[in-house]
Amino acid sequence: MAVTEAKKSSKKRKQIHEEPVVQVEEVSQDVGLQMLSDEEGEDEDIASDDGEVDEFPEINVESDSDEEDEEDEEDEGDEDEEDEENEDDEEEDASDDDLGIFPKAKTIISDITGQPKLVYPEIEPDYDSDSSTEDDPNRTGNVPMHWYDDMPHIGYDMNGKKVFRPARGDELDKFLDTVEDPSSWTTAFDKSAQTDKPLTAEELDIIRRLQAGENPDANYNPYEPTVEWFTGKGKEELMPLSAAPEPKRRWVPSKWEKKKVMKIVRAIRQGRIVPAKPKSTQPQFYSIWSTPTDDLHPAPLPAPKPRLPTNAESYNPPPEYLPTDDERKEWETQDKEDREREFLPQKYGALRLVPAYGEFIRERFSRQLDLYLAPRIQRMRLQIDPNSLIPKLPSPSSLKPFPNHKALKFVHAKGRVRCLSISPDGGWVVSGDEDGVVSLWEVIVGREVKRWKYEGKIGALEWCPRTDVSFFVVGVEDHLHFVVPPNLPSPVLALTQSLLAPATLPPAPATPSPVKWSSNHSVDPSLEQPILTLSLPPSTGVPKQITWHRRGDYLASVSSGEGQGGVWIHQLSKRHSQAPFKKIRGAVQLVLFHPTKPHFFVATQRYVRLYNLAEQKLLKTLMPGIKWISSMDVHPSGDHVIVGGYDRKLCWFDLELSDKPYKILRYHTRALRSLQFHPTYPLFASSSDDGSIQVFHARVYNDLMTDPLIVPLKILRGHEVSDGLGVLEVKWCSRQPWLVSAGADGNVAVWCS
Amino acid sequence: MGRLRQKGKAGAAKAYITRTQAVKKLQCSLADFRRLCILKGIFPREPRNRKKANKGSSAPTSFYYSKDIAFIAHEPVLRKLREHKAFAKKLSRALGRGEWSSAKSLEDNKPVYHLDHIIKERYPTFIDAVRDIDDALCMIFLFSSLPSNARIPPSLIENCSRLAAEWQLYVMHTQALRKVFLSIKGVYYQAEILDQTVTWLVPYQFTQSIPTDVDVRVMLTFLELYQTLLGFVFFKLYTDAQLIYPPPLDMKKYEAGASVGAFSLQDTSQITPAAPKTKQVEVEGKTISTKHVRTAIKNITASETTEDELPLPLPTSQVDVDEEFVLHESKSGSHDAAALPTLHSLSTLPQATSAHLFAPYTFWLSRETSRGIFEFLVRCFGGRTGWPSSSGSGSPFDEQDDSITHVIIDRPLANKAQESVEERDRRLRRKYVQPQWVVDCINAGKILLEGPYAQGQTLPPHLSPFGELAGAYEPSKSLGEDIPMETVEEEEEVEEEEEEGLVEDEEGADEDVAAGGAERRTTVAVNIDDPTSLRAAELAAEAAGMDYGSFTKEIGKSRKKGKSTDKNVHDPEQDMNKMMMSNKQRKLYERMKHGERKRATERTKLEEKKRVLDKAARRKVQKT
Repeated sequence: MAVTEAKKSSKKRKQIHEEPVVQVEEVSQDVGLQMLSDEEGEDEDIASDDGEVDEFPEINVESDSDEEDEEDEEDEGDEDEEDEENEDDEEEDASDDDLGIFPKAKTIISDITGQPKLVYPEIEPDYDSDSSTEDDPNRTGNVPMHWYDDMPHIGYDMNGKKVFRPARGDELDKFLDTVEDPSSWTTAFDKSAQTDKPLTAEELDIIRRLQAGENPDANYNPYEPTVEWFTGKGKEELMPLSAAPEPKRRWVPSKWEKKKVMKIVRAIRQGRIVPAKPKSTQPQFYSIWSTPTDDLHPAPLPAPKPRLPTNAESYNPPPEYLPTDDERKEWETQDKEDREREFLPQKYGALRLVPAYGEFIRERFSRQLDLYLAPRIQRMRLQIDPNSLIPKLPSPSSLKPFPNHKALKFVHAKGRVRCLSISPDGGWVVSGDEDGVVSLWEVIVGREVKRWKYEGKIGALEWCPRTDVSFFVVGVEDHLHFVVPPNLPSPVLALTQSLLAPATLPPAPATPSPVKWSSNHSVDPSLEQPILTLSLPPSTGVPKQITWHRRGDYLASVSSGEGQGGVWIHQLSKRHSQAPFKKIRGAVQLVLFHPTKPHFFVATQRYVRLYNLAEQKLLKTLMPGIKWISSMDVHPSGDHVIVGGYDRKLCWFDLELSDKPYKILRYHTRALRSLQFHPTYPLFASSSDDGSIQVFHARVYNDLMTDPLIVPLKILRGHEVSDGLGVLEVKWCSRQPWLVSAGADGNVAVWCS
Repeated sequence: MGRLRQKGKAGAAKAYITRTQAVKKLQCSLADFRRLCILKGIFPREPRNRKKANKGSSAPTSFYYSKDIAFIAHEPVLRKLREHKAFAKKLSRALGRGEWSSAKSLEDNKPVYHLDHIIKERYPTFIDAVRDIDDALCMIFLFSSLPSNARIPPSLIENCSRLAAEWQLYVMHTQALRKVFLSIKGVYYQAEILDQTVTWLVPYQFTQSIPTDVDVRVMLTFLELYQTLLGFVFFKLYTDAQLIYPPPLDMKKYEAGASVGAFSLQDTSQITPAAPKTKQVEVEGKTISTKHVRTAIKNITASETTEDELPLPLPTSQVDVDEEFVLHESKSGSHDAAALPTLHSLSTLPQATSAHLFAPYTFWLSRETSRGIFEFLVRCFGGRTGWPSSSGSGSPFDEQDDSITHVIIDRPLANKAQESVEERDRRLRRKYVQPQWVVDCINAGKILLEGPYAQGQTLPPHLSPFGELAGAYEPSKSLGEDIPMETVEEEEEVEEEEEEGLVEDEEGADEDVAAGGAERRTTVAVNIDDPTSLRAAELAAEAAGMDYGSFTKEIGKSRKKGKSTDKNVHDPEQDMNKMMMSNKQRKLYERMKHGERKRATERTKLEEKKRVLDKAARRKVQKT
């Protein structure tokens, strides 16, 4: 009962009560001991722990009477506790808490100085005076306690008896202690006693002071009056530190200072230094432009003025200026820099409703930034009609005749028409498609006269330019077939036969050629068989171009295969073929004979080279600047070359002038496929993958000073684009201004003027 | 073999210098460099080849002419800036040591730079300076309306407002104002000084706050230059006009908010303060009798008889006259839109700017109108103004004054239930116009009808007197010219489909034209582009009894036809000829065409909107 009562009653101040209890008991043990230490209390605890754990908190706060009874026995030190509880205090209460640890000091009036001073109680040089050695019942000394971990005791007391390990509860007990015992948070583990001991009030006070950053000594007074030892009243130092005499400079005026001052005085007298200089009397503004400028610098260019406001900026613009919702939204979503106008037109019914313009200062600022940060360039503003930039060319109507409409159409049933050729008299057309069909038909009516069928696609077709004989060459699959058209007049046929399949073969050349010439003598021209076949070396590929020399004795063929460029020159009269180039740089696209001179044009992918066949040397390299040359033709005069490329460019070269193009035209929207000059009229035509044919007037003057005149005349449309391919070949009729074009859509069209 | 040329020793590498190099060369801070550039008017240049100018580097930098930088290197202002730097160090040291007396003497001898020589250098002649005061005026007027803060001292604002008032005084005195435009940004004024047009923008009177992304230091540096420039320019202008500069300021009036009125112009010939010129005008205005006004009105009406110019309002006109006028106005209300543009178009022909446009009138500015704007405008054109005390003191007369002819009022019509006979009488004697009337009169160069601008009326659109860009849509021309004719015709067709009764009379007119005969066509078929022949054709048509509307229609048709035929003939050929253009030419051509197309789309868009709006309006009228 007593235990529970005590626990209930002693809540907050339990520790304070414990203390006196301990002390009281202690006192009873050794009388006259003033300095009490924790150890004593702890000892007591330990001692009591074994037997009666709950004995010591018998005294309650409430039960003052008990305490007082016991306190009667206490000596002077213990009075303090009483004081504290009773709260009728003396001055020295402040130091009460220290009682246990520090010896108590008394303030007495000194007999000598007559001032108060602290007097500490004398320490008796007793055997017990050193509490630190005596009080601890455990006399093991300063040895690690874990040596005793396995032992039932924790050391030995003064008498050599074992001090047994106090009972320590398990974790649950500890926890319960922390919950139930309100003073548990002011206990600390005592190593030598191996148990928790409550801290005394003095110790707690020290902790508080340390936490507050104060001096741990409660008696220490930081605000003691200063004693001015050397300067205080009556304590002045009478004796000087040094015996050196006072220097003269301390009391004689300085010569140098006087000199400096006199300098200033002189300056003031002479008026060089004006004490209070009056502000300049000159007016701030005066007639600055009345005097002429001394230097002859021209005035810097004035800054450009900002644009004057237009109607849209009005506070009350016509309603059509107001933006629609879409325009407004667009304007708002745009970045500031992208906006065409920096404001949105607004309409206000009255002037009083117009608000402040929020961007005003920012606009002024940006103007200023423009003025000092933006580089200025003088631009010539062109006040010309843009149409005046278009070159003035003669009207096409004055340059007639030229083909301007589609007269008829010849259809190849299947396959794109790759190539076509027109007979030298201009009456017949042969056209060959990718299916291997070669058709012979009349230009004027478009009636098919004969059809040949070959294996593989037709790479090239060319009619012999000679008029006394009549035949054409078909390039198919490593072979050149010489074909005689039907219904020839007998003299022509006879001559053709004797030319192509002569009865007596000419002598074989010294160097044998890999090209085989095989004539078919017995062939009836009405039959399908070719009268002469040239077998090019195997794997040279399809001959993609055949071109005749103007006399009709030589023809050159270009094959698509690799090696040597696949260029062969065949001579009919000698029945001999030769490769003109041992080695050639780049893949040969096209070759051409010069119309008048023994020159030979070879177009590789990027360049056009002009060789002299007689001297066997390179004359010129033309650089059209085209990535991939697709077509080329020479003007009948032989001085001008046009070159077309897959990159849509057409270059006109004047051979007399330069290796660079005289004119570059880019008007087709897709790759250029074919080009041809008209042999007699001043015309040329180009065809392209965009399905259109462009007809130009190209007049060349004999006068070297006059530039050739190129006038675009007509765009002929009518072919359809299939698989990205448009018009693959155009050819002129030699005597009429008529054009025949072969399209990838399988149509061959005749365009007439 | 010539001399070896080292790289970077000649040409662009030598002629240009980057900004960092320039700052290093001048041995000043970047801020000082910026200040110098602003004051001296030096700006970066764009070298023809950036790589050559920057020693092969293509890093983005700004380039200056080396000679420009060498030119600033000897600038007295730069020396002063350096001195100021030393001074600032000395002062801070003195302050740090607590040496107050030496700090004070340092402060007294603070280095101050003057910009006089820079003004002379940048503007060798006076005309150069006048040509370049646009920006200066804008800034002065802006800063005179700013609130002061830590960066902007009140003395600066005061100086700006003083300069602004001096400028306004001068413009009023010389009556140099030509055009005014009320925009959403502020009021644009254009004056003609020494044959130079000077345009400046004044914000509306609201408190502006400086945005945080605006560098005030830059603006203040510019302002420093502009204040000096304007001071010298005004000095010259005033002295040339035989006036004393600076004009004496009456502090009492100034404190009471008289703004411009606080200054008085003094003639240099008289040392004693003579009657200021502007005051003379006022005095004249006061002494104007009704007789004077009548004679003036007669003169004006005589000069402009043929036009549907207003019968000018007499200040002493009787009540019945006023009513008659109002009636007439309402009658012409339907043709209002048609009448106004013709006025505009006529006014653009002979612009005899009448400096004394408002001389016969006396204006009362009601309290919601901005006194600063309208006092200036009216006084520029010789009128007198009065204002209530709420807009500042110094009004020469009060509201009850009988001489008031116009009241500029910007309020909706209020129902005046209880007004005395006297008040009513006064109200009927005066014209109540909205502020736009004043501005439109100034821009038109003559007094316009007050009717459309009367209090409570929906105002006609306010157009820019500076005109539009070439080829842009012009709302004022829209009814007389060819394109709107097309629109009208198209509209007719549309309307015909919708409701036939609507366009009967127009149909009739068309038939009339068709029947009227070929000879009219021939008259119309004269060269349309030539204005004189056009005029002759118009006269001929009028003689033949053809009304103006059908004539213009005819013109429009023929013009359209001509255009379309032209296009048919030229286009394919030109398209083909285009392929013979060189690359450079083609690019230039495309650019020009692009611009044209853009303008044209802008224009057609506006026309389209206009057509829609017109149609909506017509339908509305039809319904009602």
